[in-house]
Amino acid sequence: MFVVRPVETKDIPALAELGKVATRGVHTFPKTPSAIERAVERSIASFAAQVEIPSEESYFFVLESSRDRSIAGAAAISATAGSAGTFFAFRNDVIHQVSRDLNISHSVHVLTLCSDLTSCSQLSSFFVRDQQAAGQETALLSRARLLFAAAAPHRFGEKFFASLAGMTDANGRSAFWEALGRKFFQMDYLEAERLVEGARNRTLIVELMPHYPIYVPLLPGEAQAAMGQVHPEGELPFRMLSEEGFEPDEFIDIFDGGPILRAHKHALRSFSSSARREVAYMVTPDDTPKTSYLVCNAREAGFRAVIAECPRLESAESIVLSPEAMRCLDVVNGDAVLCVKL
Amino acid sequence: MLVVRAIQERDLDGLMELARQTGDGMTTLKPDRKVLGKRVEVACASFAEQIAPPQRDYVFVMEDTEAGRLAGVCAIKSAVGLDEPFYNYRIGTLVHSSNELKVFSRMETLYLSNDLTGCSELCSLFLHPEYRKGHNGRLLSKSRFLFIAQFPHLFEQKLIAELRGFQHSDGRSPFWEGLGRHFFKIDFDRADDMTGMGKKSFIAELMPRHPLYVAYLPQEAQDVIGRVHVDTVPARRLLESEGMYYEGYVDIFDAGPVLQARISELRSLRESALALVDPAPAASAAGEPFLVSSTVLQDFRVIVSHAGGGPNVSDRIGLSGAEQALLACAAGGPVRTMSLNPKKPNHA
Repeated sequence: MFVVRPVETKDIPALAELGKVATRGVHTFPKTPSAIERAVERSIASFAAQVEIPSEESYFFVLESSRDRSIAGAAAISATAGSAGTFFAFRNDVIHQVSRDLNISHSVHVLTLCSDLTSCSQLSSFFVRDQQAAGQETALLSRARLLFAAAAPHRFGEKFFASLAGMTDANGRSAFWEALGRKFFQMDYLEAERLVEGARNRTLIVELMPHYPIYVPLLPGEAQAAMGQVHPEGELPFRMLSEEGFEPDEFIDIFDGGPILRAHKHALRSFSSSARREVAYMVTPDDTPKTSYLVCNAREAGFRAVIAECPRLESAESIVLSPEAMRCLDVVNGDAVLCVKL
Repeated sequence: MLVVRAIQERDLDGLMELARQTGDGMTTLKPDRKVLGKRVEVACASFAEQIAPPQRDYVFVMEDTEAGRLAGVCAIKSAVGLDEPFYNYRIGTLVHSSNELKVFSRMETLYLSNDLTGCSELCSLFLHPEYRKGHNGRLLSKSRFLFIAQFPHLFEQKLIAELRGFQHSDGRSPFWEGLGRHFFKIDFDRADDMTGMGKKSFIAELMPRHPLYVAYLPQEAQDVIGRVHVDTVPARRLLESEGMYYEGYVDIFDAGPVLQARISELRSLRESALALVDPAPAASAAGEPFLVSSTVLQDFRVIVSHAGGGPNVSDRIGLSGAEQALLACAAGGPVRTMSLNPKKPNHA
């Protein structure tokens, strides 16, 4: 069984191992030892913080195998994308142009550097060691973050988003970057990502990126085609987030043009379809029809989430969990849990 | 003999004939009798000072007095952009710099501007192909500088001239292909025609309103910003020798340069001078060519003379009887003179 739990100091070596294999698709994943240490410390402090207004907190979770305690993946969620800074994205606006004299009517897309997403909560750093072989636990890792947010809504904003890796070729060259970012940064895409550590809330972005809108028709076709396109390695997270209720809309990443998926929390299944139930252990007949649920213990400290097979909850007042699930969740009969259908 | 003079009502037929010769690319001189008739009317009223200075349009024709035909035309508009917006791109610079990354990017930008609103404009210059020789081109173009030197109070402080931008031999404008076409979805000629016809509102409707980074344009389009059409290279050199210069304003369609100058900085303001027509000229060898003009607004006339004479007010200039007739002036009367060619710079 896999458990999602907040990161702990002891996880640092395991995260360093993960960081080594974390592909170029996940620029937000901390890669250097000092970056990992900072992320872990910040997460521990964030879980411990008494939050009134969401600000700089960032919650880092790991996916742990209950069998051998190995770490199979990690993911994070930030209270606000801007943290102490401003989060930058390109907003893809449409300008409608009509001239009666010339009998012309068409639309022009314009990219504007914007800070609209600064106060939204951001999902980031999602990485599973073996994506191909992984099963339901990837969904557990991705969605546990939102279940945590549903259990502790005061720690997060009204809106959530996730920025997915954009198209790059085998050499890590991004057509969107070549046409746009390179003119201002004067360096390769991967070099820029390494320098900013995948962040989009750094002062240097406002120093370097275009202040004026970019007219999309002026970009090379290759760069236009890359707008909003997700990297093949981002397809799994894209699918999971879409199932959760996220949708791509007018925002794209300022570096590689990758899609930014966004949702109001009411549109997310973890918020709208999750239910609170009391844990009730009982032996059920083997032929009872069962369904997969994401279940978390609804605690801010000592948060745990697992996938559990249990009888359908629609008309039940309590949830029947296996002893193993109860142990992993650290709950006993009568405790409240938050569950949502997988 | 050739004389450049203020246009008159009777010149409309000759002007139509000239307009038919212009071919494409002269938006302000289309062979449309109604449009040209109106223009002649305004020009005559301008010379007669019957309309307010900002509305004036001084049109000059070059007449071949022997053949009795018009050889060329040119004009000065008192002020542009007062009836409808006058658009240009101003080339600006934006620096994007990060200390942290040690990156310093200097980006050129194009700002859609109406900065030149109210400037006086040199325009509508056309010389019949048969007359493109000798001093004729310079006489036609430079006559306007003498006019300005004689009547500087009629003009705004700043003078501009829009020059035709670079085009391939097949008429394609790389700048238009790289920029305008994306927003207009029509050919350059058609867009240019529309502006010539005064239908300029579509510019505001369709042109990008935000500043543009030049680096986003195709290299070919970037390369022609501020470059003139091959045929316009001599005209550019001529205007520059009279004190006009390129200061980063270009046409929004073909990126041709706008040359500009303060009126007070023009060579004609510094070097031209009044002289009296000598009643008893001493016979002398032909000297260097001079532009000589009359000083009457309503019947302003300019010729090229080799009669010599100096650029000092007290000077006398020995014009022949024929030259006096061309200028409609008499011995003892005042004329304005300026050497046709700027003096070579001193290499001290």
